[in-house]
Amino acid sequence: MSTDEGRQATLVTEDVVELSLPVRADLAVLARLTAATVASRAHFGVEEIEDLRLAVDELCLTVLRGDTTGRLALCFERPAEDTIEISCTYIRHADASSGAAGSLIGEEDEASLSLRILEALVDEHGHDLEGENPRAWLRKRRVTESQ
Amino acid sequence: MEQTFDISEEVRGGVPIVSVSGEIDVATAPGLREQLQGLVAAGHATVVVDLLGVTFLDSTALGVLVGALKRCREAGGDLRLVIAEPRILKVFEITGLTEVFTITPTIDEARSK
Repeated sequence: MSTDEGRQATLVTEDVVELSLPVRADLAVLARLTAATVASRAHFGVEEIEDLRLAVDELCLTVLRGDTTGRLALCFERPAEDTIEISCTYIRHADASSGAAGSLIGEEDEASLSLRILEALVDEHGHDLEGENPRAWLRKRRVTESQ
Repeated sequence: MEQTFDISEEVRGGVPIVSVSGEIDVATAPGLREQLQGLVAAGHATVVVDLLGVTFLDSTALGVLVGALKRCREAGGDLRLVIAEPRILKVFEITGLTEVFTITPTIDEARSK
């Protein structure tokens, strides 16, 4: 293993933070707090940390639209020294139905607003399935460095 | 988990001014929606929303504001926003909503528009 490979392996193993939350509106702040902490540890600048706080919030909203039960599993990783990758998987309750009447979200335009925000704030983002669970992810590289 | 969020309301020259402070997200946006819906239902077609004390807002907050704007315009009025913080203004810019809302840096300018 080269020195670079060894460093990369160290980053991957030491800088993975996992967060599992019940779907509760008042816990969204925990995802933002974790993103800010991880970004600060990765020496992202203040503006970039704020961008990431908003981006992770939108990431959670994109997988949650219409559902109010189950859990969110977030994973914060640093695949490279200057890069943070965050994924958010929505784990539905077995008996949950999509688009429940008790949705936290009431306005139709919000999904497209979320995507516009993600598009502007991060380098890459996307959606896929982890098993049967919807997953959204983003990747952001550091441009400025905190003092 | 407790979040910093507060809404207050006053009426100046017949125009209601809703001042919001703290973080507007999926947890707190319903409170703002309720406040704004109540004002339009009470016959106030034009409302000023003072966001000077807001430290964070997401698409949920934007959705609430867009919904309130539609209701105000249907009633023949407008929803005007007061924003001075570049961080908050940036969210409106990247979503193209600076073209949709009347945004001013002070409450007095919003009232006189």
